[in-house]
Amino acid sequence: MKIPLTITVNGERYDLEIKPNRTLLDLLREDLGLTGTKKGCGLGECGSCTVLLDGEPVKSCLILALQANGKEVLTIEGLGKGKPDPLQIAFVEKGAVQCGFCTPGMIMTAKALLNKNPQPNDLEIKEAIAGNLCRCTGYNKIVEAIKSCAASTKR
Amino acid sequence: MRIRPFEYHTAETIKEALTILEKYGTEIKVIAGGTDLLLAMKQKKILPHHLLNLLEINDLDYINDEPSEIRIGALAKHSYIASHPIIRNEATVLAEATGMIGSWQIRNVATIGGNLCNASPAADSAPPLLALNAKIVIADSKNEKNLPISSFFTGPGTTLLEPDQLLKEIIIPKTKSRRKANAYLKLTRRRGVDLALVGVAFHGELDESGEKLKNVAIAMGGVAPTPIRALEAEAELTDLSYEKAIKKIPIAAKAAVAATQPITDIRATAEYRKDIVDVYVRRTATKVLNILFNKDG
Amino acid sequence: MSEFDIVNKSYPQIDGLNKATGKTEFVSDLVLPNMLYGRVLRSPYAHARIDHIDISKAKSLRGVKAVITYDDTPRIKFGPRSEDWTILADGKVRFYGDEVAAVAAVDEDIAEEALDLIKVEYTELPAVFDPVEAMKPDAPLVHENKENNLAAEFKIEAGDVDQDLKNSYFVYKDRFYTNQVYQAYLEPMGALASVDLSGRITLWTGTQIPNMMRITYAKALGISLDKLRVIVPDYGGGFGAKMENNVHLITIVLAQKAGQPVKLINTRFDDFVGGNPRVAMYIDIKLGVTKDGFITGKDVHIVGTNGARTVYAPVIVATACYRPDSLYRFKSVRAIGHTVYTNTVPTSCFRGFGNSQMTFVLESALDMIAEELNIDPAELRLKNGIGENEVSIHGWKITSNGLKDCVLLATKKANWNQKRKKRKFFRGIGLACCNHVSGNRAFAREFDGGAGIVRIGRDGNVTVYYGESDMGQGQKTVFAQIVAERLGVPLDIITVEQVDTDISPFGMGSFATRGTLMGGNGVLKAAEDAFKQLAAVAADMLQAPPDEVECKKGKFFLKSSPQKSVSFKEVAEMATFKRAGAPVVGVGFYKPPTELPDPKTKYGNISPAYPFGCHIAEVEVDPDTGQITVTDYVAANDIGRAINPMAVEGQIQGGVAQGLGWTLMENMALDDKGKLINPDFLDYVIPCVMDVPEIKPILVEPVDPEGPYGAKGIGEPALNPVMAAITNAIYNATGIRIKELPITAEKMLKKLKEMKNKIK
Repeated sequence: MKIPLTITVNGERYDLEIKPNRTLLDLLREDLGLTGTKKGCGLGECGSCTVLLDGEPVKSCLILALQANGKEVLTIEGLGKGKPDPLQIAFVEKGAVQCGFCTPGMIMTAKALLNKNPQPNDLEIKEAIAGNLCRCTGYNKIVEAIKSCAASTKR
Repeated sequence: MRIRPFEYHTAETIKEALTILEKYGTEIKVIAGGTDLLLAMKQKKILPHHLLNLLEINDLDYINDEPSEIRIGALAKHSYIASHPIIRNEATVLAEATGMIGSWQIRNVATIGGNLCNASPAADSAPPLLALNAKIVIADSKNEKNLPISSFFTGPGTTLLEPDQLLKEIIIPKTKSRRKANAYLKLTRRRGVDLALVGVAFHGELDESGEKLKNVAIAMGGVAPTPIRALEAEAELTDLSYEKAIKKIPIAAKAAVAATQPITDIRATAEYRKDIVDVYVRRTATKVLNILFNKDG
Repeated sequence: MSEFDIVNKSYPQIDGLNKATGKTEFVSDLVLPNMLYGRVLRSPYAHARIDHIDISKAKSLRGVKAVITYDDTPRIKFGPRSEDWTILADGKVRFYGDEVAAVAAVDEDIAEEALDLIKVEYTELPAVFDPVEAMKPDAPLVHENKENNLAAEFKIEAGDVDQDLKNSYFVYKDRFYTNQVYQAYLEPMGALASVDLSGRITLWTGTQIPNMMRITYAKALGISLDKLRVIVPDYGGGFGAKMENNVHLITIVLAQKAGQPVKLINTRFDDFVGGNPRVAMYIDIKLGVTKDGFITGKDVHIVGTNGARTVYAPVIVATACYRPDSLYRFKSVRAIGHTVYTNTVPTSCFRGFGNSQMTFVLESALDMIAEELNIDPAELRLKNGIGENEVSIHGWKITSNGLKDCVLLATKKANWNQKRKKRKFFRGIGLACCNHVSGNRAFAREFDGGAGIVRIGRDGNVTVYYGESDMGQGQKTVFAQIVAERLGVPLDIITVEQVDTDISPFGMGSFATRGTLMGGNGVLKAAEDAFKQLAAVAADMLQAPPDEVECKKGKFFLKSSPQKSVSFKEVAEMATFKRAGAPVVGVGFYKPPTELPDPKTKYGNISPAYPFGCHIAEVEVDPDTGQITVTDYVAANDIGRAINPMAVEGQIQGGVAQGLGWTLMENMALDDKGKLINPDFLDYVIPCVMDVPEIKPILVEPVDPEGPYGAKGIGEPALNPVMAAITNAIYNATGIRIKELPITAEKMLKKLKEMKNKIK
């Protein structure tokens, strides 16, 4: 019934056996205890569960854990090397964090964007995070925070 | 909203996949990206006993540029298609439409094969492929066959794919015209990340003389049980000069509306969908004509 | 240079980095050893008799530890306002989503599977969904003992409305409808409950009213207050919704029955069908003016949807009846509000609390009046706006008041005068004002006010305990700033503890835009108390009288000779030694100079301070598709002194985005059987980043005499004027008056066509 799964999460390799009906989000939150990735709707519509799969942002609630077999997952806990990532700091300092529930997913999407496009313009930022819903901030300060990191890459 | 238990199968070759499909028949569902399938499973719209994962099949996510056609593997993801230079140049309308599917996160997972086989009447990838006269390659354990995509959809959520068959690739023929252009417009309830309430793809080419419109194709999603072409509307514009075509656009748009049979649901009424087809045919047509004839619009 | 070190400055949230790194444990992240997962079985009918429930199969499923129905609950009737609740349905379901049974199991998969195994036999009953329909004599009754389905009637009258309307130069008359919308906080409601050997319950939940909820729940469970402890971890937004809800009580009963901790987090579906969405209202208004634009009388009739049981809808309808009466100088006002039972999800608080509904109507009406009289809409507001140190028609004592500045600054920033004059094709600009409260004496139950505890231990670190609720708006940060300012210490030595009813003050909670003023004053008073105690010790150490001692930036010094100083930490250490280890604990409270309104006339000052605002929206309407784009937005809000300007801006931008969603796209849609047909974010569309323009906040900061450091509230007035600002802009762009929310593209196009046909 259980199926073997090899997966690397935040740089650590796991050899697991899991039930095939578990989503990647279940695996992260329930099996690995990585609750930084949030569950906002479970239907791929809010973006709170965004993680990077081989560097690409995906909604972990709509992916079977087994679909990530052999792949690398980066979650909010794995961001930054020993210290917070500039995006995490910018989100806090620019007031882009209110309740904070959308924040991990939002930051992961933004991270993937900046990895691909270090100097995105406003529209590119908005298009990238259009799948991440936030109900607190009205998005203004989120866009600002992401933009501030783009600028600092330039320097 | 949990996914009910199922037995999991995975295939590393198409052949393997087809063997498994043959064995389980209607008991098994194929998962490509899974963004539609898992959603349906969570909502208990389908409860398959077996699931076949295709993602471990190597080399089925290609985009190949060949002299007379572009070949797209069924497992090519929307984000890959939308940003691929060949698609952007040769099949702009497909790049535009796949770039509007869901969110970035969904486009990174969902595949074109999945989008087509899921057969939503509003699937964004369908109208462009219809407009580009694409063909699809269907494989079963015995052979492979090519079909025009226009014959693929049989109703909402249904295709002519048999349980033991797979959609393997999509072929977009290259046109020999010296000039072509196309565009896609999609109606959504907010500015980003929504299903297409209506999707309109418009394709046109210039004839040898460079003065007349030919190979006009108008395809629409979300306005009939399947994505459809508006053949009469296309005929209205064919072989016309720029000036004549521009004048004829409203008539063509009305003809396109006449080809639709939309439903009323929570997302929009049938009447509104028709209104939008009218507007979007006019807008895409105007845009394409202006590009083809080098007008500023 | 500001006169302050810490307040009136933009600091990031003190716990922001925990949130941004995923370290914050939200309610849904909590795990206890041996914890089970709960799920609720909900009614598939809007109104039905339960003939039989068979739980035997569910009980015998492996991994299921508890299955409960009404019979397993204490079977007590209760409710925050009206005793029409039971924990789980008692023989009858009254809305689609009503709670019928629940299970607890070792994992979520099994819990869901068990739900399928519960067999319920129903007999469907006739149902009613619309409040106006429900008031008709032959309408089905939601509760047999509630005649005409009337949950509450509210009446208010001041002055002679009939006479004033009769004497008016012009009377605007119309009917408006504001629809039911969902708060859509990103973390669904839910709870974790654990029961100890003595039967004492601990409930971890995201709640805006931990203490008031505790009172309601103790009653529901038939236990004394001390048997229930409520802890409020960080939670993902509330916007008014997160108050009493059956899901918490079900969690508790499951934990009692299973003898194991139970976590029950709503699926998004459950949250849509079983949450507490906004009260939908039909609002009839008559509004009179003199020839030169002075408002005379206002006559209002409201019919609001209560849903199948009473949460807070009656007070919300009452608020709609009279709150904006203190925005302008009305000569006379009269309102009747009916709150009506329907077979729909129980409605409750959502940012704006009735004032948002009525502000939409009043500000739309004023726009029509401005046109009729050919007066500039901004001028009309300035002419009638209530001023500072005035008393409103209901006895509200308006002290600080930045309304006029809000109008002047917003119109200036938006380039109002020029844009109003220069009409552009299908582009428009619109304006709306609002008022609000900072605390509502009428809503708080036994008393109003706020309290705090400030503890300083040997290490010199400061821990603040408060009794309101930080749902993500940044209340903890604001309180930390207030305490740091008063003590004279840097912000980073302050910790603000989660609300725990065993430890924290008995706070009323976060509603009525009261947190900053009430809770802020509470912790300010506590900090003052702690400061006095420390100053006495510092004075000893510096050999000076205590009133000679001051503290800034973590150093106690003498006012006369600042070079003589001793560090805050040293003073804290000395204080602990002197008291044989006892920490310095400052306790303080704030009692506002408010009064319970007269039961009959409703006359009385309900809040210590009143915020105001003026918003200006610009829109573009696509004449072919009906799509409406908000292109620009200026939001001027009078918030008293901003404790944290960046947080205030965030509140404003978030409130505007929510109002934009309500105006243009959000709607809870029912089918003809009363079933919610869009219980997910696919079809209940909320704004994404692409929909929200740059929102330019203007902070108007008249120092309020009652506010902590002069601060008032911002939560709700950030949203109140948005709907009218946008629809007034739509009117300016198209000449079409929007009287029903939301105005979707499809509805807009229909109206554009109707207008075209009329002109033809």
